[in-house]
Amino acid sequence: MTPWRTGLPLILLALLLVGAAPLRAAPTPLVVEAALDREVVAPLLEAFRAAHPEIALDFRDRTTLEVDGRVAEADPAPDVVISSAMPWQMARVNQGYARRLDSPTARRWPAWAKWRDEVFGFTFEPIVMAYRLDLSRHMTPPQTHADLHTLLTTERDTLEGKVTTYSPLESGVGYTLHQQDARYTPRFWDLVAGMGRVNARLEGSTRAMLEGLSDGRYWLGYNLLGSYAMVWAQEHPEVIVQVPKDYSLVMMRMAFIHRDAPHPAAAEAFVDFLLGREGQRVLAGQTPLFSVRPDIVGPFTAARLRDQVGERLFPIPLNASLLAFVDPQRRAAFLERWRREFSRAD
Amino acid sequence: MIEVTGSLKRRLAVWLLVTVTGLGALLMIEAWRSSQRAAERAYDSQLEAAALTIAEAVQWQRGEPLIEVPAAALQILATRHQERVFYAVLDAGGEAVSTNLPFVIKSGWRERVAEAPLALTARLDGEAWRLYGREVDSAGWVSQEPVQVWVGHTRAGRMALADELFERTLTRFVAMVLLAGVLMALALRVALGPMRRLRRVLRRRAADDMRPLDARVPEEMRELAQTLDHLFARQRQSREALLRFTADASHQLKTPLAGLQSVSELALKSEEPADWRAALATVHEGAGRTSRLAGQLLSLARLRHLGEADEVAPLDLAAALRESVLDWAGREAARDHDLGLAPLAAGPVWVRAEGWAVRELLGNLIDNALRYTPPGSVITLGLEILKGREGRGEVALFVEDDGPGVPAEARERLLQPFERGGRQDTDGSGLGLSIVDSIARRLGGRLTLAAREPHGLVVRLHLPLCDPEEVP
Repeated sequence: MTPWRTGLPLILLALLLVGAAPLRAAPTPLVVEAALDREVVAPLLEAFRAAHPEIALDFRDRTTLEVDGRVAEADPAPDVVISSAMPWQMARVNQGYARRLDSPTARRWPAWAKWRDEVFGFTFEPIVMAYRLDLSRHMTPPQTHADLHTLLTTERDTLEGKVTTYSPLESGVGYTLHQQDARYTPRFWDLVAGMGRVNARLEGSTRAMLEGLSDGRYWLGYNLLGSYAMVWAQEHPEVIVQVPKDYSLVMMRMAFIHRDAPHPAAAEAFVDFLLGREGQRVLAGQTPLFSVRPDIVGPFTAARLRDQVGERLFPIPLNASLLAFVDPQRRAAFLERWRREFSRAD
Repeated sequence: MIEVTGSLKRRLAVWLLVTVTGLGALLMIEAWRSSQRAAERAYDSQLEAAALTIAEAVQWQRGEPLIEVPAAALQILATRHQERVFYAVLDAGGEAVSTNLPFVIKSGWRERVAEAPLALTARLDGEAWRLYGREVDSAGWVSQEPVQVWVGHTRAGRMALADELFERTLTRFVAMVLLAGVLMALALRVALGPMRRLRRVLRRRAADDMRPLDARVPEEMRELAQTLDHLFARQRQSREALLRFTADASHQLKTPLAGLQSVSELALKSEEPADWRAALATVHEGAGRTSRLAGQLLSLARLRHLGEADEVAPLDLAAALRESVLDWAGREAARDHDLGLAPLAAGPVWVRAEGWAVRELLGNLIDNALRYTPPGSVITLGLEILKGREGRGEVALFVEDDGPGVPAEARERLLQPFERGGRQDTDGSGLGLSIVDSIARRLGGRLTLAAREPHGLVVRLHLPLCDPEEVP
């Protein structure tokens, strides 16, 4: 073989590599700031990475209040913001931090689960009570809010220090849930007073409450995220999840694309995936986050939950009324009332 | 010549189009503005409702205004169009007690709101917002200062509503225009129907059919139909006049010819050369008269059927008159008459006329006067300069005689051919005045006949004066 003959294939190979280089270009980074347990949502992220290998997903799991701070302060801004603190998400959208998503999937998304086509509620998580089996040996476990109130009054000594609930002070979700409860009935304040009387422990996350139940520190938890609790209960038989039979709040994780997203195309692809058939199927089948879409079949769907629980599900309305909850004066007044009721001595 | 200048339908269509476009544009501008106003009013009342709801929630605690923003107020603000919403409660100093967006409420706005509730449009983050403010008097135990409630939202709903209202108006307008166009086309067909009917009637007419029209026409076409009828009537008259003229002319020619025939017949039967000579003299005289008659008939026919005057030029009427009178005064026919000229003004009198026509006219007038007056009559010709109608000068040429005159009832008829005013005692043909009348018409003048006191006739020819420099 003459030297030039060996050279030709080499040159061709080099050309091929140069030509192929753009196809293997550096993946587009995508920063998602989320208040959503990485472990819970892992199947969804895996599915997205598989569907979009050209996007390098950077999923950052934080608390709701941290996520809210990142919206305004992070530089560069995150691409997608996900949080379960619905009023804060809503306030950010109202401040103009969200970018409109105009895609077929977004347009088809149910109207009650989106706002301005900018922010989308993509999960359907019931708020539940959970108790330890120990509880049922001493008393009839509560099935309604009234039952709970009665127990807090009649079994005050037994339950002393054994009740836990979300802290409205430390957690955005906890605050939202308490606000929403208070909107439905003034008797909620009796419940707060009752919890104050048994010195209920305030936790910052559902996980902490579930761990406390499994440890035996707590017997009864109120206002837990059903999504986490149901998965926990499957692995921890000592914990029983009870969807309240009078009414059950439903919380939605809200996702929006940041107005100043550095990678808007990737961000749109991600949110589209969240709302799309594939993403929702993963949510319904492999995570306990519950799919919103009525056309998805799986163990965790809003439709199936409604079949099981009936018409007692009260999704926290995704509309402008949420903005009232983040009004500082209103929040301060609410928390002051909460503290007053919690420490009411009678 | 018939020149087709566009079509009526097209002209109407263009007019309709122009009117509709012009009026339509104005109408649409007005519709757009009123849609905007309606949308603003509709949504401003939502702002007002929200502001009132918030105002209701203002309370005083320890001398400070305290507001628990009602969720319902925010939902009213957001409307079903999911607007971004703004609210602010300001204390008397303009400090925000509670607000959700960094809107700067200008002090000017605050002062105006102190007077009366105010709605205005402002911008935030490059987006237009509608704001509404009102002042609330609320009494606390410590402080009684008023607070101002400001609310606002983005304008998507307003724009959508305005668009919707405008679109509805626009659709209705376009439908109306289309309908009007179709109706207009139909109406045009119907309206032009009588025109087509008249056309068919005219087309079906025989060439010599001069009867009045028999057609139903609308009011607008009455004049046209009447004009057509007049035209037919005039043609009928003119045809009848022509026939009568031909008949009269034949009759007039027949008499002298018959005379010639009988004289020559008698002469042929005689063997006497003296008779022949006498007959020849008669024949000669008769032939002369006949030839004059034929000449007059010819000139009348020529005058009547000549085209437009083509050789008209400024002509000195005074000079022509003088010349003609001199000419005739020297002739045999004027031997027994006193033919004279009234004093003429110095200088030329200009009229527009053909020379031959004026000479023919003067000749006929003088000839007539000589023939129809007894010998010894005084015949005077002259000119009068008159102030004519419409400020233009006019000249009257008159010929007066002191003959027997013509009765008033016969005077008008004198202008008809072969009319001799009841006089059969002369050898005139009765064509002279008719020729004069024709020439007068040709020159744009008019001929009048009047009685002269104590007896006699005045023939006056009025002609417009002209400027000799005037180029035809």
